[in-house]
Amino acid sequence: MRLLMTASQIRGLPVVTVHGGEDVAEVRDVIYSPEAGRLVGVTLNKRGFLAGRSRDVLPAEAIHAIGQDAVMVLDESNLVAPEDAPEDVGNPATERNVLEDDILTEGGASLGKVADLVLLVGSSGEVVGYQIDKAGGGRGYIPLPAQLSVSGVALVVPNITEEFVQDDLVGLGAAVDEFRTRLGLT
Amino acid sequence: MSESFRDSVGRKVVSRQSAKELGSVSHLLVDAGQRRITAVVIGRGKKAQLVDWAQLSGFGPDAVMVVDEGALRPPSDDRERAAAAGHLELVGKRALSERGNELGKLDDVTFDADTGVLEDLLIGARRVHAGSLLGSGSYAAVLNESQEH
Repeated sequence: MRLLMTASQIRGLPVVTVHGGEDVAEVRDVIYSPEAGRLVGVTLNKRGFLAGRSRDVLPAEAIHAIGQDAVMVLDESNLVAPEDAPEDVGNPATERNVLEDDILTEGGASLGKVADLVLLVGSSGEVVGYQIDKAGGGRGYIPLPAQLSVSGVALVVPNITEEFVQDDLVGLGAAVDEFRTRLGLT
Repeated sequence: MSESFRDSVGRKVVSRQSAKELGSVSHLLVDAGQRRITAVVIGRGKKAQLVDWAQLSGFGPDAVMVVDEGALRPPSDDRERAAAAGHLELVGKRALSERGNELGKLDDVTFDADTGVLEDLLIGARRVHAGSLLGSGSYAAVLNESQEH
């Protein structure tokens, strides 16, 4: 089953251990690498009566699965201090943040601004699209190629992206494969 | 003989040696990895005590028989303290697949009264073999992904 979720749907999900059945943390935010086109990890909040910001992070490699109701890890040792995590997770560069970036086609047309990330969940955490605030108003979704040029204020997408703007996540799910096939052919 | 968690709660616990009633079953502590009951929790809260499964002479339909009163002990680690406080109750717990999707609520669990080995998990109208249980704790019982529709 192909399940797409936005980053805002992942924020706040409990992090649950497969072997312990305990909610050991919750997702504060996702850490995304536009160059790699995927989630590299998540930052965490504590749960329960110690609730609040946690120092620990969860690298993508340590995630067992992301589902609709929880992010699963095998056990609590998968949550690590930033200094023990890969550099791009422990100390993510702030210019990686693509929210509000202008989306420009190679031909120079603006499709709108990035409103949220759309991830293929399960075990991969691949970012397959963006939710956008369309240049002409309203919300939409665009599929992404596997790699992308990002400057911190704008990002450049292939011209055909314009034909693949979708109204909802379901539409995007179907559009991603066709979009990437077309890119492979052109 | 097959027994159920739901039916076992409240059953009296009796010493085989003295025939004294020691309390009643409040909870069954499970090791999900081994797929078996490891201990019976008697009473709740601060007064809760545990008896290891190996110290039972019988888990019967009318009473749970303990070899003698000396087998009752206080909780000895965090997990047992959580069990004594009622946080690890399997019945009523949310069932989560290892893929992070909710499957429903765990309505009951059946086990072999002779061995303490778990048999089936009842989730709504579904009956799932207990072999799919990967872990259980205060937040959820985690089942392997084959249990997703």
